[in-house]
Amino acid sequence: MSKPSDLVQGTLDLLLLKILALQPLNGFAISLRLKQVSGDVLQVSDGSLYPALHKLEQQGWISAEWKTTENNRRAKFYSLTRPGRKHLEKEADNWGRLATAISHVVKLKET
Amino acid sequence: MQAERWIYKLPLRLRSIFQRQKADEELDDELRDHLELKTQEYIAQGMSPQEARRSAVLEMGGVEKRKEECRDARGTHFLETFAQDLRYGFRMLRKSPGFAAIAIITLALGIGANAAIFSYVNAWLIKPLPFPQADRLMVLLSHDTKKGLSGNGVTSSADFFDYEKQNSSFEQLVPWTGWYFNLTGDGPPDRILGGLVGWNFFQTLGAQPMLGRTFLPQESQPAASHVAIISRGLWESRFAADPRIIGRAVTVQGETYTIVGVMPANFQFSLMGISNMWAPLAMDDKVRNDRVTSWFQAFGRLKPGVTQQQAGEDLAAISSRLEKLYPQTNTNQTTLVSSMLFEIGKNEGEQQILISFCLVGFVLLIACANVANLMLARASTRAKEFAVRGALGASRLRLARQLLTESLLLFTFGGAAGALFGIWGVHWIEDAIPDRIRGYIVNYGRGTLDVQTFAFTFGIAILCGLIFGLAPAFGSSGHDLNRSLKEAAGQISGSQAGRRLRSVFVAGEIALAVVVLICTVLLVQDFAHMVYGDLGFQSRNLMVTQLVLPPAKYKTDAQIRGFYDQVLARVRALPEVESADASEFMPFGESNQVKVIHIVGRPPAEPGEVLGAEYSAITPGYFQTMQMVLLRGRALEAGDGRDSRKVVVINETLLRQQFSKEDPLGQQLEIGDNHEICTIVGIVRDTKLFNLTDRPMRQIYVSAAQFPSAYMSIVTRAARPSTGAASAIRTVVWSVDADQPVSAVRTMDDLITERNTPNRILTQLLTFFGILALLLGAIGIYGVTAQSVQQRVHEIGIRMALGASSSDVTRMILAQGLKLALAGIACGLVVAAGVTRAMAAILSTVKSNDPLTYAAVAAFFALVALAACYIPARRGARVDPIVALRCE
Repeated sequence: MSKPSDLVQGTLDLLLLKILALQPLNGFAISLRLKQVSGDVLQVSDGSLYPALHKLEQQGWISAEWKTTENNRRAKFYSLTRPGRKHLEKEADNWGRLATAISHVVKLKET
Repeated sequence: MQAERWIYKLPLRLRSIFQRQKADEELDDELRDHLELKTQEYIAQGMSPQEARRSAVLEMGGVEKRKEECRDARGTHFLETFAQDLRYGFRMLRKSPGFAAIAIITLALGIGANAAIFSYVNAWLIKPLPFPQADRLMVLLSHDTKKGLSGNGVTSSADFFDYEKQNSSFEQLVPWTGWYFNLTGDGPPDRILGGLVGWNFFQTLGAQPMLGRTFLPQESQPAASHVAIISRGLWESRFAADPRIIGRAVTVQGETYTIVGVMPANFQFSLMGISNMWAPLAMDDKVRNDRVTSWFQAFGRLKPGVTQQQAGEDLAAISSRLEKLYPQTNTNQTTLVSSMLFEIGKNEGEQQILISFCLVGFVLLIACANVANLMLARASTRAKEFAVRGALGASRLRLARQLLTESLLLFTFGGAAGALFGIWGVHWIEDAIPDRIRGYIVNYGRGTLDVQTFAFTFGIAILCGLIFGLAPAFGSSGHDLNRSLKEAAGQISGSQAGRRLRSVFVAGEIALAVVVLICTVLLVQDFAHMVYGDLGFQSRNLMVTQLVLPPAKYKTDAQIRGFYDQVLARVRALPEVESADASEFMPFGESNQVKVIHIVGRPPAEPGEVLGAEYSAITPGYFQTMQMVLLRGRALEAGDGRDSRKVVVINETLLRQQFSKEDPLGQQLEIGDNHEICTIVGIVRDTKLFNLTDRPMRQIYVSAAQFPSAYMSIVTRAARPSTGAASAIRTVVWSVDADQPVSAVRTMDDLITERNTPNRILTQLLTFFGILALLLGAIGIYGVTAQSVQQRVHEIGIRMALGASSSDVTRMILAQGLKLALAGIACGLVVAAGVTRAMAAILSTVKSNDPLTYAAVAAFFALVALAACYIPARRGARVDPIVALRCE
């Protein structure tokens, strides 16, 4: 199984942006959601999750806020910013094009 | 979208700089939360608490490492470590104040000298003209295509008007000439320097008056009433800054002029020199149609989009048309177009400044190499510290970065101290320029201490800090950790690479120092030759004053003669005066006159080959007063009066050029436009004319009794230096004519010193640079040798234990140092050969590749290097083998 660092560059960012596009979440919830949505195919270690989140935050794509969770803990909730949403659309498009192109190439019949 | 992103980014950046602690705490909280939740989850899955905790941490992969990664994401992490390094650097400098002081002083000298010279480069070469779109201002130069000679001024007055009418490149062409105005009334008579200028002079330059207006076209008509514009300086000094000056009438040359404008203080047209008054240049038809001579110069403003080259081609085409139309006068005559920016730099000092700039750059490199060597030496003694830090996990890059930060810190301090030193240097140069020649000098000889100069100063400081800081950074980051840690303190030898680097630095330093010193020695020799060289007359105790008689008052030759005769008689009667005479031309004076000459009996000169000679009317005792040497024949005598045969004395150069085969005495010269026939009666030695560097020119002297002039200078020889004589002479002149302005009475030596200012300043500067380079070079080689001895104490001990005598050791160390020095000297000689070639233009008496100078400097440097190595060599020789070997 490939390690998370082998994820295509920027893929983790794209996944995180997409997850946060659905609803604001804290770090732990994000890690659960990642496993949930991608199954065991994409294993993102908790180690690389936080640096990636902080980087997105510093880039202005997502913003963070300290809020109280349902079981009364204070946690840092991340949500998508407006520029982040646009960025996600663009990146998702790019991803779609790339994926299509690659799957076309892979499906080429050997002669 | 970019801007919107910053709404989110900016608060985060600010927070990570100013609320770092809070940000870090939150980061801790966030990760701890995660771990706790994770642990609980695992416990819920049935793990033991310890096991759950361990799994959670493992999954995180090193909590501290992740925190560091998150901090890195902030983007301001770089700043934080930088601040950390800076603090550490400060501490290191404070701990070794000796090192810091030496390094900072060395850098301050190097950087400061550069800043001072740059402020002149800036003033002279980068923004020398205070006019809008100055790059479109062009100067016209007459050019003789056959002789290849160019001169200031236009080929002839009539040609100028043809150029003006026919050219399609210039918006305006402006004629101008330097002039002086005898201002009388309102206080003592005053001689004001200024110019006669075309009516469009100020408009074309783009200069606005601070009061009143500039000239009108009709004011250039010969019949127009006289108007004048004055400088702010004159307005303040003579007219008490009278706000109602406009329209006021003043008496100039006995005629009434109306002041129509005042120019602001920053108006300077340095081609004209000091100028405080301007009047329209009015030309009558006789002048306008003169195709032979001209007495004015010209400049113009290019039309937008026209290049200098196009303008040159345009004028060349007109010139060749004129050549066909007027072959008698215009054969080989053309006019070149040169930019005013170039011309004003060329006039004074540009080469001197460029050479200084080049050499001062070398001095800076030497200083930097010295400091880099100091840092390398320190880095190798700090090897242990770095080894420990490396063992604790600092990456090589991180260590290199810290060394670089320390070097930047050092160079920034050096830059700050250098800026102070530079300001002092600029003041020194400014003060070294005599006030009287300031007018000719770009920006009045002031350096520009502006933003650019300071940016340059700190720019080079930081650049050098980066470049030379890399050396120790890489030199020491390559240490082998294990070895460094194992070696005993004090036994650590710098890495092989580091030592080689130091040797290269020192050799390079010596090479540059040799170059600077050779340039210095060449220049000092040249200067000494000039100053102590032959003038053709004795300048000691000579005093000069120029008198210009107003034509309105002195209308006849008899009046002029009468005036000078009376003045001379009374001056000669002064007790301190040995002799006094008058001459139209005065060496190192302000004016000169060239007249066309023809030797009677020879075929008429080909067009373009007409002979000219520096012309002067003198009183009979002039040669004696000047103590000029008469080679043959006789001097002019009192008997050469108005009614006797007209006679002329020629100089050596004219003799050599024109009378190589025949005896000139008794032959006749036809002189000037009036074709005066004069018999040659004597030959005198050449004299210097305007500058110590001038080549000799053809000169002729005629009798003032036969050719009276209203523009004579009085030259007086005193028995001994006398300060009272000057005012006595002025009083004498006023006793003859109370309205006659007298220019300052000056000693000939002062005039010569003034003319020689650029060379004098350059020589003094270069002497300073030369000594600095020599000192730094010596310190450099001393430092390297001393350190190598220190590092080799052990080896020396073994050698001595095995039987080497202390003189063997001395010799070995000396040989090593000398080898380095000789390599540097050899490189230096090669580089100097190239650099001095660029200096050839400003050397007049010394060859730029003078082998004796090269050899002397090389030998001297070898000696200095030997002396510098001798001290550490002695120390090496005194090593006690028992102590050296035991200290392991």
